[in-house]
Amino acid sequence: MKPFFIDGSRSYGYSLLIEEIGREGFYYPLYRTSDTYAYWKNLLKALVSSRAVTLLDSDINPSEIAGVDIASLNERVEIGRCEIETTGQLIDAVKRSTAEISIFTSGTTGQPKKIVHTVASLTRTVRTGEKYENDVWGFAYNPTHMAGLQVFFQAFENACTLVNLFGKSRSEIYEIIKSRHITHLSATPTFYRLLLPVERTCPGVVRVTLGGERSDAHLYENIQKIFPNAKVNNIYASTEAGALFASKDDCFRIPDAIRDKIKVSDSELLIHESLLGTSESMSLDGDYYHSGDLIEWVDEAQGLFRFISRKNEMINVGGYKVNPEEVETALLSIAGVRQALVYGKSNSVLGNVICADIVPDDGYELDAVGIKQALQGILQDFKIPRRIKFVETLPLTRTGKLKRV
Amino acid sequence: MEEQVLSIINDIRKSKRLNVLDALKETDNLRTDLNLTSFDLAELTVRIEDEFGVDIFEEGIVNTIGEIYGRLAK
Repeated sequence: MKPFFIDGSRSYGYSLLIEEIGREGFYYPLYRTSDTYAYWKNLLKALVSSRAVTLLDSDINPSEIAGVDIASLNERVEIGRCEIETTGQLIDAVKRSTAEISIFTSGTTGQPKKIVHTVASLTRTVRTGEKYENDVWGFAYNPTHMAGLQVFFQAFENACTLVNLFGKSRSEIYEIIKSRHITHLSATPTFYRLLLPVERTCPGVVRVTLGGERSDAHLYENIQKIFPNAKVNNIYASTEAGALFASKDDCFRIPDAIRDKIKVSDSELLIHESLLGTSESMSLDGDYYHSGDLIEWVDEAQGLFRFISRKNEMINVGGYKVNPEEVETALLSIAGVRQALVYGKSNSVLGNVICADIVPDDGYELDAVGIKQALQGILQDFKIPRRIKFVETLPLTRTGKLKRV
Repeated sequence: MEEQVLSIINDIRKSKRLNVLDALKETDNLRTDLNLTSFDLAELTVRIEDEFGVDIFEEGIVNTIGEIYGRLAK
């Protein structure tokens, strides 16, 4: 029988999973663990018994999130034995579940928000069928957040194998992809950038998905070099709404089925409440939620659009608005720049000064003056970072995105 | 201190492809003599703040090199 989950040298089969879910007779509504298999098992127990469950990061400090009763952390609740004997029965029971699943936003900006989802809202874009049953998924997201849950359900509902890559080093990732015959990968652009420069190719991977952050043409080219046989696409998902749109290049298409539930106002993407999980801390404007994502239409009639930036991330420099992601994209096009984070520092002359932290590629000697001169042909003067620091690593959020300061 | 200020100003001038200066005069005007724009002045303040912990524009406009020395000597 196929493994359900592989983590390092340990492999957990679907038969073990079914046997333990049937026998143990309890679950944890509020569970914090660094054991990813135990975490998945607990989630599935909650789902098959239609009990509420709150998903917490393994390293979360309860003071970081509001509305969590810390006294009941890792406290067992009896649910009785359940009569599940086959993988098919387990999957059906999960699909029928009415459990409420509470997750938290990653807090890229501000305090994490709690959002309540159901299996239906988390599995909107899951595809099942014979053509998916031999997929082997590299698991590169935090398991407690939206993107990780999307990958989990896509793999689980097809009884596929998940292989843990989250938090592994670059050389481990290359090794695991090869030795475990991974065919499908879904991760943030930051994850793929960590695989650069191209060390070896992974011909067994047939599908590569990027999500969670803006990516750039330079990264696409390199991803295609590492994964020469893969179709590369992008997914737009949010903690509030789950997965909504997919793309083949940098353009997203709104599916016909939800075309009337998406609006654009002042370039901002608005999402109808019927597509959302529920949350007390999420404010609606009429029936619509302001996503904070700024877009431009490529073909409005076809529902094709491109992301520009996050609304609250624009930096005001002496009255000019600078999109940090545009500057990051320009920096990443310079040879020797592996990762870049652009942010504003308050300043008495201009309000803000553009600053950049850069992680250089191994073997490159970069200097600030050279970087600025290289940018002069690409960016307007006011967008060029005035303070450039070279660093070994950049801080990431719990979901593996660049942390904005 | 004067050497550090010269080095910062030369870095800014190099980025703009202007010639590197051997020395600064106290009477040098930041805009007209040294060709610094307001973006360059903002960079200058950030760099000086990084090195000396002083925001030279905090108490108002600074026009000349001599005035920068004055703020830093306080």
